[in-house]
This record gives sequence, C-alpha cells and structure tokens, in this order.
Amino acid sequence: MKKQIPNLAGGMFLILLLVFPLVYSKGDYDYIMHIMITGFFYAILAASWSMLSGYAGQFSFGHMGFMAIGAYTTGLFCHYFYISPEPTGLCTEMGFFGQYLIVVNPIGVTSTTLTQDCLRQAMDVWGDTVKVTPMPVFLGILLGTIMGGFAGFLVGMLVLRLRAAYLALFTLGFSEILKATISAEINITRGQAGLELPPLYPDGITLLGHYYGPTAKLPPYYTMLGLLLICLLILTWLARSKFGLFVRALREDQDAAAALGVNTVRYKVLVFTVTCAMAAAAGAVQGHYVQIITPNMLFLLQMSLVVAMAVIGGIENFVAAAIGAIILQVVLELLRNSFVIGGVEVDMTIWRLVIFGLLLMITLRFFRNGLIAPIIAFFGREGVAEETVAKRSAGSQEAGS
Amino acid sequence: MIHLKVTNLHKRFGGNHVLKGVNFEVNGPELIGLIGPNGAGKTTLTNVLDGAIKPTSGTVYLGEERIDQLQPYQVARAGLGRTFQVTRSFRRMTVLENLYVPALAMGNTSGTAEMKEKAMDVLEFLTIDHLRNEFAQALSGGQQKLLELGRLLMLSPDVVILDEPFAGVHPRLMEVIYAYIRRVNEAGAAIIIISHQMDSIFSLSDRLLVLNFGDLIADGPPDEVKNDPAVIEAYLGSDDEEEDAA
Repeated sequence: MKKQIPNLAGGMFLILLLVFPLVYSKGDYDYIMHIMITGFFYAILAASWSMLSGYAGQFSFGHMGFMAIGAYTTGLFCHYFYISPEPTGLCTEMGFFGQYLIVVNPIGVTSTTLTQDCLRQAMDVWGDTVKVTPMPVFLGILLGTIMGGFAGFLVGMLVLRLRAAYLALFTLGFSEILKATISAEINITRGQAGLELPPLYPDGITLLGHYYGPTAKLPPYYTMLGLLLICLLILTWLARSKFGLFVRALREDQDAAAALGVNTVRYKVLVFTVTCAMAAAAGAVQGHYVQIITPNMLFLLQMSLVVAMAVIGGIENFVAAAIGAIILQVVLELLRNSFVIGGVEVDMTIWRLVIFGLLLMITLRFFRNGLIAPIIAFFGREGVAEETVAKRSAGSQEAGS
Repeated sequence: MIHLKVTNLHKRFGGNHVLKGVNFEVNGPELIGLIGPNGAGKTTLTNVLDGAIKPTSGTVYLGEERIDQLQPYQVARAGLGRTFQVTRSFRRMTVLENLYVPALAMGNTSGTAEMKEKAMDVLEFLTIDHLRNEFAQALSGGQQKLLELGRLLMLSPDVVILDEPFAGVHPRLMEVIYAYIRRVNEAGAAIIIISHQMDSIFSLSDRLLVLNFGDLIADGPPDEVKNDPAVIEAYLGSDDEEEDAA
C-alpha cells in the first residue's frame, strides 16, 4: 500500500493542477496563471534534461539551445511563410493546388518602420480583395519539435566520444554559438529586437461553451500542462522499457554496457533526439504563448535555472524534476514580494535568488538526489531492506540445518 | 569445432609494440589460463578480442565470423563475453536490473517472466538471490564480482574471458566462482581465465597460454608450461639478467 502513496499524491497533484484555473478567481488570476504556465514550461525542460543527464548521464549544458531551436523554427516559419490565392510577383513564391506558398523576404528590424516586406507591399495593392492565410501555429510547433529532435540527433552523433566535462563544454559551446548566430543574423531573426510570433490560438478558442480570446491565459495553461503530461508519459514509457534500462547502464558504465551487447551509440543518440525534441516543443509553445523570442532565452543563467530545478527536485527522477520545477517557479515568483522587518525593508527581488542559491547548495551537499526524488524512492523501495535480511536469514538457516 | 581463432595479432600504441603477432586457437569448450607478468599484454589482448580497441593488424574469428573490426556490442552479440579486471557493475541499478541488461540487449528471452526466472536462477546459483532488489553499490566487492559473472550467464556466450576473477575474493566466494566456471564450461562455452593466482589457474585450466612483452611464449598443458624454460625465465628472470644486475 505504501508503494502506492507517490502515485496517489501525484494523482491528487494532477487533479489540483487541472481544476486550479477553473476554481481560482482572485484579481491576480492572469499573473498566477502566467506563473503556472511558465512553471510547466520549465517542468518540461527539467524533466527532459533529467532523462538526458540524470538517467543517461549525458551532462548537457545545451538544453536551452534546443529549446530555442524549437521556438525560432516556429517563429521563423510563422513569420516568413504564408499562403495566398494570388501571386505577389514580389516575393519568392511557389504554386500548389491553386494556391501560392509565399516566402517573405527578410528585411531585419526595419520591417515596421522604414521598409515594408514584399507581402505587405502586395497586400497594400490588393486591399481587401485577396485574403492571405498565415501558417497554422500547430504546424510551426510540430516543425520546431522535429527540428529540435534533428539537432539533438546531430549533436548526439557529434558527442559520441565525449564524456563528463568535455560533453558539458561542447554542449555549452553549441548553445553559445547558437545564441551568437541568432544575435548576428539580424536580417532574418531580428536579433536582440526579438522575433514576434502569433499567439498560440490566433483566432481564440471555445472550451466547454466558453470563448477564450487569443490573449486569454486558460487555453495556453491547458496546452502547456497537456504538453508536460505527454512528455512525462513518453518519458515514463521510455524509462520502463529497455530504453530506460540501457540508458541507465550507459550512465553507469558505457564500456561495460557495450561489452554486454548494448548498442551504446544508438541509445546515446536516441536519448539526445527524444529529450531535445521535448525541449524544442516546450520552446515552440512558450514562444507562441509569450509572442516574442530573443537570443536572451539562451543565457547561461536560464540553463543554470533548469539544472538547479532538476537538481533540487531530483536529477535521477524526471517526475521529481518536473514537480521541483513547478514548485520552485511558483515559490521564486511569490518571493518577489518585499516585506518590512523592524522598520527595514527587505528587497526580495534580490534576496529570493540568494535563498534559491542556498537551497541549491544545501541540496547538493546533503541531498544528492534532490528533495523530492528520495521521498518517491522511500515509498517505492519500501520493504527492500527487510526482504534482503529475511531472505539472507532464511538462506543461513537452510545452510545450517 | 573452432570457437576462436587469433592470427598474427599486432597492437601498437605509438612506439610501444604491445602485441607482437599473437597466434592461438580455442578448439571447443576448453578451459584456458592466460598468464604473464605485468605488462605482458594480457588486458590489451582481451580488449582487442572484445572489440574495445582495434588491432594494428591480424585477424580474430569467432566461429565463422570475423570480429576484429566489430564494435564491442557486436562482438558480445556474436558470442564473446568478458569481465573486467576492476569490477564494473552498474552500481546505481538493482542486482536484477544488472542481469536484465544483457538479456534484453541479446533479445534472447521471450518475455519478462522468462527473463526474471532465468535471472533468479543465476542469482540463486551465485548465492546472491537475497540481494536481487538491492542496488549493486550495496554489494561487497566479492558479491559484485559474482554479479558481473551473473551478467555473463545471461549473455549465454560461446567464449568467456574472465579477467582476474579471483582477485580480492573471499575463499568461500572462490568456491562459487569455481562452480560457475565449471557450469559455464559444461554448458559448452570456452573460457579464458586471466589471473595472477597460479594455484587457481593451474588447478582449473586444461591449457595455458603465456604472454611475455607481447609475445606468446608458451601454449600447452599446465604441467608442460610450468617447466618451460622460457616461462620460468619470464617470471623469475634469467641468469644473465641477474649477472647484469650484479
């Protein structure tokens, strides 16, 4: 029965998350919902990073890079590709099934001020006579996920022979190069000015008979939560299959695993592909939710935050890492409120980070597998020690008789 | 029936010629001891045989299959299993999970129930079945050696290389290892044992291979090899060397 406690607690936590937006009604609804959506976003990153680093032992510092690949793929796709019933005669375009795929020419950060792009010029001429259709957001997210997975596959192939610090440095280098490239290619990515994305549901959405507009918080809440649950289900399925067993063997001793018949190359590349695709999917959805992406999303501090969330939750348990990320995100945001002690105002916008750092240090020093994972393990491995002692005693008695 | 055929095997690391044209065959389920002083090339030979490092030249056949250019996992699947000089169990995985890894990698079980049954049979034989759900890191050094041997049983190999299986093992566990070696051998697998424990090697082996500075200097029955002047010289040094040292 005790073994079921983590499952029961998890189920209750999930129900709480599902009903929360329906029952919460305070004035700060949008703010709290934003914190939760961002928490789910970090939970996907922490859980997938936990599978990559905690389960498979591939200590990557490039996870935010793959997240950015997802965000920028869908961002660029939605920014530059359109479908029109008429050719513009100005843009790069390709006819198919009586429609035209329009590729808008990149004009950098001046598009809304000095120069219009080719499509806007054509639309000015057309007036309201031609209806140009933007690309479906879900298709952009799907493309972003695929691109992130493909990039993970390539990086996985490149780091086959790298371990420990070398792997961490390589992936960090990858992330930094990506950031520099996005910053430098202002003409295409708009650099630090940021790339605007359409909202997750550009035309709004009707849920349970209620219409929610493009900026409503509830639809992205359930979308990000749904994505988190899908990722956790996939990770659980993988962890319980031979994939999970093999990647853990890979973490423990790559050479020994290979000597026992495990195709280490395949599983190393696979774990990179799957987890990076998840990070990319999270980045793509988050990009459409916040509607603007910049190279700053690749800051090392962001990666450190994901690592810290996974470490505090429990690096070797992706569910613990995800729960840790949600709780930490909520706590970090709620700690922003300053307060007064003895007439002295404590500015928590700074002190909360000090508390966070201290929590991380204490976790690393005293709780190597995080704060949540050991609780799950405590219930999950209940009775193992007693079983060992009982069997050993029985064996001794048999030998003695 | 030839299990393993090693022909003119060379391995160089820069200017260090570690294996100098090693030739031998393993015919059927033999029990072979591989001995030699430190630096003789025993572990390098093992690493070349299991695909961890590629030979500079020469060939290795396992049955009809050439294996010297294969990856370690392919060599394992072809039927050659090994243990390591320093025990390399999967420390943060349970004892049962340690055994499931080779079983699933080989795909030689038809289901979880059969796999678990086989694993339990192996653990009972090795007298560590009571530890099945413990993490491998909770096991003693000797028990971890047994676990490593158990993993090989799940692999069901045709040729087994045991690198220092008796090092640091309690005499009672040594008996279990002896029984293990006999069981694997009786099941039809050829076994190559690398050890510095001469008593064990001489009592177990049908045949001895002696490596010295990368040369295979002796190959024959233990009694014959024991009295081979080249072997005595490799282990004890020659009179000339003693005179030079003096």
